[in-house]
Amino acid sequence: MRTFILVALAATGLALGSQSCSKSSDDQAPAATSFDRKAMLTNLSTNLILPAYTSFQTTAVNLDAAVTAFNTTPDAAKLTALQSAFQAAYKQWQATSAYGFGPADQANLRVNTNTYPADVAQINTNISSGTYNPTLLANLAAKGLPALDYLLFGVGTDNNAILQQYTTDSKAANRKTYLAALSTELKTNITTVVNAWNSGYTATFLNATGTDVGSSTGQLVNQLDYDVDVFKNYEIGIPAGVQSMGTAYPEKVQAYYSKMSVQLALLHIQALQNIYLGKSAQGDGLGFDDYLTQIGAKSSSGGSLNDVIKAQFATATAKLQTLTDPLSDNIKTNQGAVTATYTELQKLLVLLKTDMTSSLGILITYGDNDGD
Amino acid sequence: MATSVKEKLSSFFIGQQHIAPLAVFRIAFGSIMLLSTIRFALKGWVYAFYIKPQFHFTFYGFDGVKPLGATGMYSLFGLLIISSLLITIGLFYRVAILTFFLCFTYVELIDKTTYLNHYYFVSILSFLLILVPAHRYFSVDVLRKPRLAVTQVPAWTINLFKLQLLLVYFFAGLSKLNYDWLIAALPLKIWLPANSHLPIIGSLLTQLWVAYAFSWFGALFDLGIGFFLLWEKTRKPAYAFVVLFHLATGILFKIGMFPYIMIAVTPIFFSERTHLQIIDFLRKLLPEWGIRSRETRRIYQMPVVQQKLIWAVLGLHFTIQLLLPFRLLLYPGKLYWTEEGYRFSWRVMLMEKGGTAFFYVKDPTTGRQTEVVNAQYLTSLQENMMATQPDMILQYAHFLAREYEQKGIKNPIVTAESYVTLNGSGSRLYIDSTINLANEEETFDHKRWILPFRQ
Repeated sequence: MRTFILVALAATGLALGSQSCSKSSDDQAPAATSFDRKAMLTNLSTNLILPAYTSFQTTAVNLDAAVTAFNTTPDAAKLTALQSAFQAAYKQWQATSAYGFGPADQANLRVNTNTYPADVAQINTNISSGTYNPTLLANLAAKGLPALDYLLFGVGTDNNAILQQYTTDSKAANRKTYLAALSTELKTNITTVVNAWNSGYTATFLNATGTDVGSSTGQLVNQLDYDVDVFKNYEIGIPAGVQSMGTAYPEKVQAYYSKMSVQLALLHIQALQNIYLGKSAQGDGLGFDDYLTQIGAKSSSGGSLNDVIKAQFATATAKLQTLTDPLSDNIKTNQGAVTATYTELQKLLVLLKTDMTSSLGILITYGDNDGD
Repeated sequence: MATSVKEKLSSFFIGQQHIAPLAVFRIAFGSIMLLSTIRFALKGWVYAFYIKPQFHFTFYGFDGVKPLGATGMYSLFGLLIISSLLITIGLFYRVAILTFFLCFTYVELIDKTTYLNHYYFVSILSFLLILVPAHRYFSVDVLRKPRLAVTQVPAWTINLFKLQLLLVYFFAGLSKLNYDWLIAALPLKIWLPANSHLPIIGSLLTQLWVAYAFSWFGALFDLGIGFFLLWEKTRKPAYAFVVLFHLATGILFKIGMFPYIMIAVTPIFFSERTHLQIIDFLRKLLPEWGIRSRETRRIYQMPVVQQKLIWAVLGLHFTIQLLLPFRLLLYPGKLYWTEEGYRFSWRVMLMEKGGTAFFYVKDPTTGRQTEVVNAQYLTSLQENMMATQPDMILQYAHFLAREYEQKGIKNPIVTAESYVTLNGSGSRLYIDSTINLANEEETFDHKRWILPFRQ
């Protein structure tokens, strides 16, 4: 036994000597303090998530009604009204896309609503054949807002030409039918999600107060990170050629035909920031900023992580503001400014996905772990 | 003194002991593995970890280990389930345990993304179980061939498991003796408050002193528990601590089957009397087995050559076990940051580490560069694990180099920008983002392109 103890002591000393000299953070590392996650979830669901879904539902209902009105008597005034109903829906989607969990996940809301660039060939095939199967994978890029963007802004060089596609064109009737199918599908999908929240999911959401993958905080953070990633890649990076050896694809921007990509991107980053801050029409409630402040999360410089994240939101927004619509032209004339914006979004992603998640001790992966 | 030590040593190794502990251990191991494997399959992880990914992070030197495709992987898990069952009931034991060891270890070697210390532990236990006659008592094999039955086995066949368990706990404890764990109470200071939603203890977990108490208790528990289990006088309370400690960690952290495996296998430390009582209890559950009649003492005979061979294997095994956790001393830098010498050393739940990695491929002839969409090649689990581990970053970079060569880019330059945070330090650049990883080779040497961890 004594030998054992001696060996143990020697080994202990050896290990201490080898490990104790290094430390990974200073003495003011995050202090353990409590934060009321349920109160944050309540604020986010009551004042941000549900209002976002219902507002998008309203815009989708309006859009569908505008399509019906236009289809009945397709004229210039109805077209303009329809176009603005569409723009309202696309703008509201920017504040809705981040909530891709729960019922929205089950309804595949994100991909069904906003898979772009639109597949023009597939759209035209569907119109010509007069058949459309919404469950077909190939139709993901032939439906939702991007397809409507093409149908309402892209089928002609101006509104006169566009109108002809719905009046004198040989496929006018089919095109109207397709338009109606898409706007109805959009309305149905978001209604399914709103109904699910109103009939039980809200309680489920509020009661999953843990921090693992399936918890509400975990899902929110995961989807927020995912949405920032989609934002930086699809709205900015891919069109700017970041992922294609520098070859730009201007036509791959969001809302290519209605030419409001930058406008939407600004609304999008504003919405993401509001989620982070817990900020809504009801004021600045509990959000991740408060959570990080409460637990004393630090950035790599030793300062407050919350300050760094807020500053990065501001920097990225400022960069986005230097861009102009149509973004597709801006990419051709000033690719550098667009890639510079991309870089700032990348930094924002790191802060949210790595710094914030790790400070909060949120698990972002399924599977067992032993802590590395 | 000298003679008593010698006697103790000799009784520890070659003294005869009742085989009951070994039989109970076999049943415990087999049944927990059965549960474990079924759980793994039911969670859909066979697909998520071994079928879905198109790229796998193999272990250095085991590049040839490839997944077997959907049919192959499910068959492999089927074999694991069957062999676990056979081990439990002790039927065709030698074949079953060998099959289990080979299949399990094969699966573990496919991808280091899913490396867990307790999988390594399972591989080791199943390897050691190959070497002992755990089926020679209270087993279907004995029913089938009564001549196999023995009651006495050399003590080493049982004690080697105690030694293995002692090493696991002790090294786990040693690894906790560092600044972060003891003085800063990290990462528990981050992890415990994340559990504040738990009933009753939730509010306690947000208290700073609780993080310190858990850290210090955890370290002392790991360091001491093996010895307290060995010592007869403290054995019972020690096992009670084992159960409580592991159940608590099981509730607080997503560590899967590990707590239950430890609870199932540590009873090996108990006396043969206790194990005979366990077997009597099991007999009552299986009435057709009948009450244990008066046993005729039958000593297990192992050919001298075979015994010497096994001893040599065990000598080598335990030497490696003793030395491997110390290989970190051969590497410069902070262990948690570089992770050089981190695996296979019973370092469990020691750090909160996260990262995001961006990879770039540059065509040297045109000078044009592209960012890689990692999700195109990796699952999110792989991507997350890779971002914080240099050897995986390098493997992925080499994969990208091959991929882009096939796309027609000659000698592509692959660089990585990974931002990593360790124990709430805030993310910082992890590796030198100017280094062409395509030109770096994987070796056991220190990777110079890992940036030092600065405060």
